[in-house]
Amino acid sequence: MISVHSVTKRYGTFTAVEGVSFEVGRGQIVGFIGPNGAGKTTTMRMVTGFLPASEGSIAVAGHDVFEDPMSVRRAVGYLPETPPLYAELTIGDYLHFIAEIREVPARDRTRRVGEVMGEVGLQGWERRILGSLSKGYRQRVGLAQAIIHDPRVLILDEPTSGLDPAQVVGIRDYIRLLAGTRTVVLSTHILTEVEALCSRALVIAKGKLLADDSLEGLRARAGEGLRYRIELKGSGVVQAVAALPEVGQVSPLGVVDGFERMEVRAPNDPRTAIAALATAKGFEIRAMEKLIATLEEAFLTIVGAEA
Amino acid sequence: MSVPLSSETATTVARTRGPLGLGMAWAIYKKEMRVYFVSPLAYAFLGVFLFLSGLFFYLGVSMTGEASLRTMLTNLAIALLFMLPMITMRHFAEERRSGTFELLMTAPVPLWSLLAGKWAASTTLCVLLLLGTGIFPAILAYYGDPDWGVIATSYVGLFLCCCAFVSAGLFSSSLTNDPVAAGLGGVLVLLPFWVAGQAAALIDQPTLRTVLQHIAFLTHIEPFARGVISTADLAWFALFTFGFLFLTWRSIESRRWR
Repeated sequence: MISVHSVTKRYGTFTAVEGVSFEVGRGQIVGFIGPNGAGKTTTMRMVTGFLPASEGSIAVAGHDVFEDPMSVRRAVGYLPETPPLYAELTIGDYLHFIAEIREVPARDRTRRVGEVMGEVGLQGWERRILGSLSKGYRQRVGLAQAIIHDPRVLILDEPTSGLDPAQVVGIRDYIRLLAGTRTVVLSTHILTEVEALCSRALVIAKGKLLADDSLEGLRARAGEGLRYRIELKGSGVVQAVAALPEVGQVSPLGVVDGFERMEVRAPNDPRTAIAALATAKGFEIRAMEKLIATLEEAFLTIVGAEA
Repeated sequence: MSVPLSSETATTVARTRGPLGLGMAWAIYKKEMRVYFVSPLAYAFLGVFLFLSGLFFYLGVSMTGEASLRTMLTNLAIALLFMLPMITMRHFAEERRSGTFELLMTAPVPLWSLLAGKWAASTTLCVLLLLGTGIFPAILAYYGDPDWGVIATSYVGLFLCCCAFVSAGLFSSSLTNDPVAAGLGGVLVLLPFWVAGQAAALIDQPTLRTVLQHIAFLTHIEPFARGVISTADLAWFALFTFGFLFLTWRSIESRRWR
């Protein structure tokens, strides 16, 4: 559905995005993650055709963004970082205007506006002035304008930024509902969002695509299964554990209730060896736990390796 | 939050498009008119414009003793030079600042439809301002015997002035993200076309003088105030209007690439 090939964007001498390539298939929800200023918004703007790429090519729904921008515009629904609202207009007037410029046939407009308002939870709000809405409701109107023409591709730039937790859950539920029938690309710097919604993530930092992988794949990069939390009581436990041939690096994390807590890195599970050591030396064991890498760690590992 | 769109909905939301994007221009036009009239802006302009018209009308009639609108109309043209950029300043500058420009440029709206819709909306607002001054010819008719032909051509001249100034204002608005800068910039763009006339009066060199006179918009509106419509003046206003629309179009296109 979306095909980005070696795309570079320069602003004067500044390179915002460099050599980015990725593909997104029909019906996928892909998370675009990266620190602020990584090039997420620039990339999304290029996919929608708002910004022309300096180099490379982009195709959406089989249409080249540069050669056939109008077909791309018709196929895409786009929620920019700030919901693009006219503060003076009412929700109803605004959505009617969007339906019109999004080529919803005149006879369907009223019905369609009513439908999307219901879908994003704005029933009965037609006459509210956009300028008076809270952030959460602005975001809902922003989503409503992005889907009013029932696009095949949805590009959402930080759809939940600045919302309260209940609103975040609401918007995420809605995005999940849209999935399956549509291709969705959403950018965020909140990793739990990617875990909640996406099966795949693109990690971007300093304008470069650092990873394009499933969430499991990303966690594996952070060393999932290779780290263990061990708590032992006894004299010289840290030195004794570090001396084991099965154990790689040991990081002491301090003493808790008389137990020495440490994080152990090892290529293979060292817990039976540590247990044998404890029995031999008379150490007390309180915990031996395999640590699951979080997406945060995966992200920091990937972004950190580049920096 | 309810169910996602059914496939039935997907098919009924069919793609239809008017010929050459006229429907889009109409949609933009309606949106702009709505924005003008839900905000106090249009009413404030109407108030200021009518006040100035009344002042010029009174001065013109009391000083000349003629049942004529000549003084009022040329002065109004100069007032429009300063006011119209304030009407057009929002168009692109405000859309850029609020992020709605991104909305318009990612919707299937051809750029020319956007320009046409915005231009037509501002010009319509001007026509409404001009209609508001209709009370002055009525007063003349009540107390005297004005030349209706001259009054009609004067209004045609003012209308052409509006068309031209709106274009220049749109151009200025396309250059910046700041509406106030766009408004003042619009005045700056228009000022040379006024000052050229004053400068021509001070210059002896005949060629330069003729050139300056041709640049000055008062040279081209004056005949309308005398009841004369010439092709040369019509062409001047048409060139001015389309010239600045073209520059606006170029300016928006080129800014995308920066």
